[in-house]
Amino acid sequence: MAGTVVKTCLSPLALLTRRLSAPEFITQCCYHKKVVDHYENPRNVGTLDKNSKNVGTGLVGAPACGDVMKLQIEVDDHGKIVDARFKTFGCGSAIASSSLATEWVKGKSVDEALTIKNTDIAKELCLPPVKLHCSMLAEDAIKAALADYRRKQQDDQQEAVRASV
Amino acid sequence: MLSYNSLRIVCPFRSLLHPNWLMTNRQTLTCSAHCVSNNLTKKDTWQRQNNLKPTGNERKLQYSTYAASSPRNYGTGQFKLNCWNCKQPLDQTPAFFCMTCKAVQPPEEDISLFNIMDCDYKFSLDTHKLQKRYLHLQRSLHPDNFSQKSVEEQEYSESYSALVNKAYHTLLKPLSRGLYMLELKGMVIEEGTDSGADPEFLMELMEINEALDEVKTPEEANKIGQHTKGKLAVLTEEIDAALLKGELQSAKALLAQMKYFANIEEKVKEKLSEFM
Repeated sequence: MAGTVVKTCLSPLALLTRRLSAPEFITQCCYHKKVVDHYENPRNVGTLDKNSKNVGTGLVGAPACGDVMKLQIEVDDHGKIVDARFKTFGCGSAIASSSLATEWVKGKSVDEALTIKNTDIAKELCLPPVKLHCSMLAEDAIKAALADYRRKQQDDQQEAVRASV
Repeated sequence: MLSYNSLRIVCPFRSLLHPNWLMTNRQTLTCSAHCVSNNLTKKDTWQRQNNLKPTGNERKLQYSTYAASSPRNYGTGQFKLNCWNCKQPLDQTPAFFCMTCKAVQPPEEDISLFNIMDCDYKFSLDTHKLQKRYLHLQRSLHPDNFSQKSVEEQEYSESYSALVNKAYHTLLKPLSRGLYMLELKGMVIEEGTDSGADPEFLMELMEINEALDEVKTPEEANKIGQHTKGKLAVLTEEIDAALLKGELQSAKALLAQMKYFANIEEKVKEKLSEFM
């Protein structure tokens, strides 16, 4: 019964997420319209060149639900994030969380991006309690991407030091 | 002719008997309230033997059986239950029906799903046998069989039938079966990111998911489906081995991997149905 209600209001989602029959869905009629918006009009889906030294790649997984999320950032020479891309395979809330994350990191410095919290993402998307872990996944993906970028920068600097010696 | 004085002597003597008898009853009442409040279903049964000993304040109320409010082992039959209807002891565990009056019984608290489905407590399970047991149980437990019976019986058949459904679906698939076995040992896969995940493994998952996203023909989708099935079969064997050895952490990590591949398998099915 919940399935038919959902199908009438969210037909594209019905095919692509298996969460519809889960018990939490019956208590919550539909995904919040912000989540639906990010799902139907995702921002920044795609890939950046992971071999580039300006690109940090964060790859995270949530074993309880089996969601996988990749978030990439491109940082300019002044430490500002100029581009971000994501690819998420999971429920609508996970997709929306990562889509929003890529929107938020753009234009921020590497240090500012570290301050993005999962609670902010959850609040913005009005995520129900059972989907809070999706916003945590997005926060972890941002941090993983930033850590990867930092590591690349450190490796670069060490190489430069060695080359100059 | 009895004098008034002799009457007075008789009365106090009788009052000596009564207080103890009353106390017995009061104790009984308090105990029954205690038992009822401790049990989820009010119909869990106990019997008391009426031992009205007029002496001794430390009266021990005796029960032939009582529904345990203390932790119970899975179906060891440590605490015997009585039928809520005819009060006869239920000799089996799990007892679906009373042997004497044939009334349907409520499900026991904390009973193992393996016990209900009469399956050995191990990861490798005969799903054919499981299905036969499921159909056999539902034939007698389904609420449709109880539409003309009492309200209690209708309620009990509903809860037992639902529990049998849950047991069947949990034990049918290796993933849910494995997760349930971990749960019985007090282990759950936590929500949130797996910080210990192998990046190579996640990369592999990403690539499979991306490839599946881009398939143009059912054959391509099937190819991914076959590859995933292969992975799942290998994982099933590995989990079986880990659980047999009692390596729970290892089993937990393998079940997490299985979850990812199970998701991919579902997506393959959805893709194939799109092509139809």
